[in-house]
Amino acid sequence: MGESVKTLLQRLVRRIPSEVLKTTLDKWGRLTAQQQRALDLTQPKWTLMENLWAICEENEWTLKRITELEMIYVIENPDQGMWYAYQLLDPEDDAHCVELIQFKELFRYHLRELVRHVSVKVKKHTDEAVWIRIAWGDSFSRPNHLKPTYVVHYLQTPYVFVTSLTSKHRPLLSQALVLSTRYQTLKDANLSGRKLTAIRDLLMRQYQQVFPTKCPSPLAEKNHPALKKEQDGNAANRRRMATEAFGDGTLPQLQTAVYKLETKFKDPTNRTMSDREEPFRCVVKFSSTNLLESLRDCASSGFASTPVTPLLSSISLKGKNYFVVTDNDPGALSQTRRPQN
Amino acid sequence: MFKFVSGFCAAAADTPNMERHCTSVTRTPLNSVRVQRRSKSKSYRQSIRSCLGAASRLVLTPALTARRLNTSRKAPKSLDITEKVNPEQLSLLVKKEWQLSYVTPLYQFRHTQLKSYSRQLSAFIAAEKQRGLAVEVEGTHGSFRVSFGVVQGMSEADDDAETVLVQIYSKPLFAVKDEPPRAVWSGWLTCINGSPDYLRSLPKDFTCMPLFCSSGADGLTSLVKSWFQLTFDCCFGPLEISHTSLQWLVALWTNCHTESAIKHLKMMWTVPAASPLKVTYTVNGPDAWQLWSSVRKERHDGSNKEEEEEEDSIDIEEVMRFMQDLKSHFYRHFRTDLSAGSLDQVATALGSAKSSGRIKIANSKYMITTLTLLTECALLKMPI
Repeated sequence: MGESVKTLLQRLVRRIPSEVLKTTLDKWGRLTAQQQRALDLTQPKWTLMENLWAICEENEWTLKRITELEMIYVIENPDQGMWYAYQLLDPEDDAHCVELIQFKELFRYHLRELVRHVSVKVKKHTDEAVWIRIAWGDSFSRPNHLKPTYVVHYLQTPYVFVTSLTSKHRPLLSQALVLSTRYQTLKDANLSGRKLTAIRDLLMRQYQQVFPTKCPSPLAEKNHPALKKEQDGNAANRRRMATEAFGDGTLPQLQTAVYKLETKFKDPTNRTMSDREEPFRCVVKFSSTNLLESLRDCASSGFASTPVTPLLSSISLKGKNYFVVTDNDPGALSQTRRPQN
Repeated sequence: MFKFVSGFCAAAADTPNMERHCTSVTRTPLNSVRVQRRSKSKSYRQSIRSCLGAASRLVLTPALTARRLNTSRKAPKSLDITEKVNPEQLSLLVKKEWQLSYVTPLYQFRHTQLKSYSRQLSAFIAAEKQRGLAVEVEGTHGSFRVSFGVVQGMSEADDDAETVLVQIYSKPLFAVKDEPPRAVWSGWLTCINGSPDYLRSLPKDFTCMPLFCSSGADGLTSLVKSWFQLTFDCCFGPLEISHTSLQWLVALWTNCHTESAIKHLKMMWTVPAASPLKVTYTVNGPDAWQLWSSVRKERHDGSNKEEEEEEDSIDIEEVMRFMQDLKSHFYRHFRTDLSAGSLDQVATALGSAKSSGRIKIANSKYMITTLTLLTECALLKMPI
């Protein structure tokens, strides 16, 4: 028992950057004032670890306490690792009534029914998010605290975000969530990214959306009236359509979007390919430090023709970044041919 | 139709100004690398003069002055190169990523003197270390042993010089008994199917191996290049893989699909934006092949020539059409013209190439075609 506490503490100290460690420990609040003062965070990590371990033994911290610390760190620094979005479907009549205590109890109960040895920690965070930490074991082994799964669920919404979940445990988590939220199924929302805040904002529409209007946009009026009025008009139009497609201001930081294309190759001048029945299979991946801003930029500057194709605008509009495109998708393909160089 | 003209036309040297040009070249070497004057400086000047003398003769060979990448090349056929080349040596060249450079012809390089070169380069590296030029390779003592070797049988053309392989070994800090020594740095100079006109036009004492591939610590690469420059009066320069060459590789590799599955055709573009957008376009192997063969079919259906030879050669127009078709398919979905971006990288199961000048050959069967293209690129960079 002592060994696993030490290992977990070691891992944490190694993982948490020194600057962040202080705030995390403060938030945790398990150190006495004296211990806090004595801890010198400018020391090298291995010295820090030794000091913390001494305090740990002094305070008789258990594994439970250390997992608390880890959870605080992850909640305060959620933009790490890979997060995947899921959506709950087909609510029962009382799904919208489920509140925190009921959810907590039901979730713990159902998960324990499904997995003999599991350690579950549920914590409500300030912004209506319920955070769950799960350390998985099985019939024969104790929960593994070194590879926990984190789940974030926003009560009264159908959205769930998960990180570090193996395919083995996915059906178990799915079942427990569905039963405790009073929905019928949990499906993959086809949205993933390194920043939880970004995918959450995108999926839950918490960014500046711009809706198409028929009224002249204020941008056009700001333009200099003389000379390049028409060109400016075009540029203003492009900017407007770009913001309609992707959003205004700062956009959620997505890194990638993947399109699996299974459409036919269409070229009237190429008979062989036109006669072909099978789709032209390819995968297109867009990546950038801030994908939505890059795409908006491309649309404004004209690299991407406007109006923006539904395939690209779907990222913001549908809150997804993984798409499988077939010929049956309406609006998936543009009618116009690529301009010849 | 779209014709690509690359490279630069060698300035036809005006004979009256020959002497003036000559001296200016000796003072300012080609890519501003300080070439130390050795005691044999006279021979250096003579060598350059004879080079420029050759250049004046080159005016008479129009094929070379109108310099651009070949617009047509033979379709690569699977070549079991292991029949001609030592498989062990071959294994050192494939499945590794090489950084490319071009190098001007070497003066008085002898394939028979390789042992002596090995000793000389080892001594040079040791001397540079003494001077304070530290080249630390992790996990080693820091004393280096150099080995020069010939990779025989790679080239088919008579005019091509045999490929030279240089390997640098270092004593590991924790030596395992009986473990074969592993090179910490390797490099090779080669010329595969180089333009016979150019090669024959070179004065007698020059050996042309314009393509230089290196892998290992940058410090060692600089040292090796310095030594070559000092010893053989040559110059090195970076060899980027141009847009056209990358497109050639796309077509040449896809063409091999029936004999060796390419598995997929992957292309990476960068589209400019405030935060640059990277587009990775991966086409399923068999589908890429179908598109390519349909492009070839259209071309050959339209042409009148029925000789079988035509089937064997690929024209730049077919390559361009293929790329255009791929970009059109992309445009139909995303309404973004990839031509506005820059093609950075292409890859298939047969190999990968980056515009920054890195190449990896995964399958030795098509090595010769790839190296022929790269040799051509390197020759285009020759200053004369």
